Amino acid sequence: MASRLQATARQLSKTFKKKGRFEIGIASELPPAYKKFWREWKVLKPAAVHYIPQEGKWKRDDITGEILPVQNVPIPLKYPAEIHDGIWGGEAVIKGFQKRDPRRRRVPHYWVPVLKRTVVKSEVLNTHLSVTVTDRTISLINDHYGFDHFLLKTPACDLVSMLALKLKKQILIELMNGCPRYSHDPVKQTEVYEEYKTYLTSYTPEEIEWYGLSWYEALSKLAKQKEAANRPVPLKNMYRKNLVEKLKAAGIEGTKSSPDEISATTSWLSKMNPFGKKDEA
Amino acid sequence: MLGLRAFICNSLPPGPHVFYQQMRTTFILKRKSPPPLHKKGGKPAKMRARHFVYDLVQDTNVCKQPDIKIILNQFVDGVGNKGDSLSLHPHKAYREYLLPGLAVYASAKNLEKYKVDESKPKTEEKFSSPYVQRTMGCLSRTLLQITMNKLEPWTLEPWHISTSFRKSGFIVPEYAIEMPPVEIRGPDLSLQEKEFYVTVTINKKEKVNVRCRIHHWATGLDRLPWEEFHWKKPKEALIPEQAAVLESMPLPQ
Repeated sequence: MASRLQATARQLSKTFKKKGRFEIGIASELPPAYKKFWREWKVLKPAAVHYIPQEGKWKRDDITGEILPVQNVPIPLKYPAEIHDGIWGGEAVIKGFQKRDPRRRRVPHYWVPVLKRTVVKSEVLNTHLSVTVTDRTISLINDHYGFDHFLLKTPACDLVSMLALKLKKQILIELMNGCPRYSHDPVKQTEVYEEYKTYLTSYTPEEIEWYGLSWYEALSKLAKQKEAANRPVPLKNMYRKNLVEKLKAAGIEGTKSSPDEISATTSWLSKMNPFGKKDEA
Repeated sequence: MLGLRAFICNSLPPGPHVFYQQMRTTFILKRKSPPPLHKKGGKPAKMRARHFVYDLVQDTNVCKQPDIKIILNQFVDGVGNKGDSLSLHPHKAYREYLLPGLAVYASAKNLEKYKVDESKPKTEEKFSSPYVQRTMGCLSRTLLQITMNKLEPWTLEPWHISTSFRKSGFIVPEYAIEMPPVEIRGPDLSLQEKEFYVTVTINKKEKVNVRCRIHHWATGLDRLPWEEFHWKKPKEALIPEQAAVLESMPLPQ
């Protein structure tokens, strides 16, 4: 008996799979476009910013000569709420300890990136923006030859912040519509569009629509879509229609009163002018 | 997971060729004790407190950053012509040239567009010194007050102008001063309401006109009353030929 129970339990534990976030409730109806963005944002591992990853797959131990695999376990990062108000270029807060003296106890320490406020220029949006950045962001912008190239070429997991993702989405929408902000200057418009149109090839319009949405934004968007799709029609409209049809079928005339007839009636109410002067009324 | 990253990065369109050099302007840390190895494809083991003890490898915020190349997309006064390439500190290049739109990045596309020829020798310097433009600007804005005696007779000579320049902070040798075409004699109180200009030659090359006014000086009861904001008021040209040039020179505000 006990062995059978154990076997069943083992079997169940093999077949049981914990439900993921895309399999529970309304989230199971999220489109694949949003799943793609989610993978790019949360599943993909961000680039190594705060540590130097070891090269290669295997490494030989210097002393023992033992061959060991290289496993780069990333340093855990803290993402404070303020990260979403700026563009930190992959940097974040590190919480850890410092060993300042071998004879003393380790000391807790937070390594916080140096933040600066500067202006970035978006060519597609044709604006300058004042944002909080780090030195790394500026050097990344310089390496990519422009803010738009930096945003469009960097995956969401490295941009991290909501601000950057929203800007990226706006830039993509702008490109999809053919840069309407430059409509006063068609030469510049085509120039900008030609420069950036290569980025549009990796997104469908639906993916752009679902890009850069947080989990709750995506869920509320879906809920709104569902609500708009099956809006309840008041029953009174249906009953009225049915009744009119029935009356028509029965051949009863004069039941409906047209608006002309109402206006033709001479009532004291129609002579009233509440907005006129006193003697006029 | 690295495979997934590579897949997504490769699926991104190529865009302009990025000169991507890994640069970390941040704190780079290293674990003092590395975490234990985990199974292939498995989860890393739960980390202990000792795995959170970090050593600072480098703080790249204090490192020297290499210069970046930019191309001017218009003529910039005192810097260069359209299509000139500059190599500047990234901070300066970003704030002073790229953000105001005076320059573009030296990408392969822009190099082609602006037809930058880096091997081409720099055009001959138009000015005798890098600071000449600044000096010319200062001198052309100056209103030179020449203090002359109200009682003793005099004739205006270059050393008077030179002295007045020295009093207002410019060391101008006499040979560099070109006097107005007519001889100015005094004392003559009608000169008080007139102005003229002298031409100063900087480094025997650049010429600049300096607006001058004569003030008659005396002490005691002979002293002329103080006029408020006299430097702001326009005055008549002493020499009619100079009137047009004086008109075009800005008065100090």
